[in-house]
Amino acid sequence: MRLLWHTIRELFRNLRRHPGTALSSFMSLALLFLLFDLFWIAAGTSEGFYARLLSELEMELFLKPDLADSAATTLHDTLGSIDGVRTVTFISAEQARERLADLVGTDLLYGFESANPLPASYLLTFEERSLTSGGVAAIETEVSQLEAVERVVYGRRWLSKAEKTRDVILSLGMILGGLILLTALIGSANNIRLMTKVRAVGFRQMQILGAGRLFLAAPFLMEGFLIGGLSGAAGWVALFYARSKVTFAQFELVLPPSIEIAIFIAAVAIIGLVSGYLGIRKMMQ
Amino acid sequence: MSTQKIVEFTNVFVTSDRGETIFHDFGFTLTAGRSVVISGPAGSGKTTLVELLLGLRFPDSGSVELFGQCLWPRKRRLLKRIRRRIGGVGGVYDLVPSLTVAENVMVPLVLASVKKRARSERLVKMLTEFNLLKQAALYPHRLTRVEYTLAQFARASIADQPLMIIDEPAAGLDPATYKRIFEYLVRMSVSGRSVIILTSQAGSDVLPQCDYLQIKDGLLS
Repeated sequence: MRLLWHTIRELFRNLRRHPGTALSSFMSLALLFLLFDLFWIAAGTSEGFYARLLSELEMELFLKPDLADSAATTLHDTLGSIDGVRTVTFISAEQARERLADLVGTDLLYGFESANPLPASYLLTFEERSLTSGGVAAIETEVSQLEAVERVVYGRRWLSKAEKTRDVILSLGMILGGLILLTALIGSANNIRLMTKVRAVGFRQMQILGAGRLFLAAPFLMEGFLIGGLSGAAGWVALFYARSKVTFAQFELVLPPSIEIAIFIAAVAIIGLVSGYLGIRKMMQ
Repeated sequence: MSTQKIVEFTNVFVTSDRGETIFHDFGFTLTAGRSVVISGPAGSGKTTLVELLLGLRFPDSGSVELFGQCLWPRKRRLLKRIRRRIGGVGGVYDLVPSLTVAENVMVPLVLASVKKRARSERLVKMLTEFNLLKQAALYPHRLTRVEYTLAQFARASIADQPLMIIDEPAAGLDPATYKRIFEYLVRMSVSGRSVIILTSQAGSDVLPQCDYLQIKDGLLS
């Protein structure tokens, strides 16, 4: 109880005596965490965008021209039972011709009114868990082995590039996020170190009078914890406010779930606590 | 009078960072209720003696015992407990600049977890005894030299610390001011507490119940 009261009193005394240091510490951390939050939102939003693009990925299986209708129907069931396939759609030669006409117009099809060289095909879409280059390639291998299938077409290169781009963005995001958190840790620790340096005489006196390490350190640890937590929360408050005022027509901002935000705030408060410890460590020796 | 040993230095050897011998087979005992004035010129080792008593440094060999317990660098808790039983004025003892006089004086009671009411009562008694009631809310930098010293006396007495260290009580004081401080020194020496007074020059004034020693060439005489 004595320690708690002492900690609270000293904490507010520190903040009152050095409001500039406390404010600059809070502002710099809040801005850093805001940047981190923005990266987080950007990552979530692009992840959603990528998932939407992936969900539209289709694989087209061109069938041999001499395939009987009954064989085509059997093939429908076979394709539907393949692991990872979500939907199977049959496109007859006539439907293919109509689709082509819709795409390129009828002028280009002049001379082919009676003849239709287009083959019938099946269009596959995939379960979310199979939407990776490896997963889709495995399905491709499986369907290629079917006797009725002549050729398989899908955006193989696009998928591979998209995956690589996503991995690069993810790695960059993690490096930047790590750097931001490290900067926050060092910045906050230095601010607390400055505060302890200002109070070095008092610190030494308290030690000579018999104050324990925890008694001396607790206010600074609490300060780090409080400033870390508050600045972490401030970033999100600013972002939620901005989101309520601005809407984007092209895409929707994907904010992390509340529980993740709460965990983030707790984590940065702990970073603040650690920075408090780093700030006073030398003084304690 | 009790013969309980409050301080005991046994065969203490201390060498400075520059390799100069400060204490050479130094021995010294102070029993409960006794006072001692230790005099010696600047650089004779008075400050080192205080540092050894507070566990701020440790001898190269030999032992330093306070209240029957040997001081060791790794025994942080023991050091903490022992420091709480020592009151100090001057030298390494300063007032905490960020605390008011009242808060400074009360520190030993806060560290000893004394309840608030008892703390307040004791504080008023001390401030009255040392004529500091008007200065209670002032910060140390606003105090005169005498007030500053008196605040240190009050802090060194508030928890009835059994041992008191007074380092250079006359330093920088004019005769009239020193006379006021000397009155408190007399009070301390007959208070039943053990008092160590360190001074560059033993004055002509004699304190009651007090031994006079001199540090010379790392030895007490």
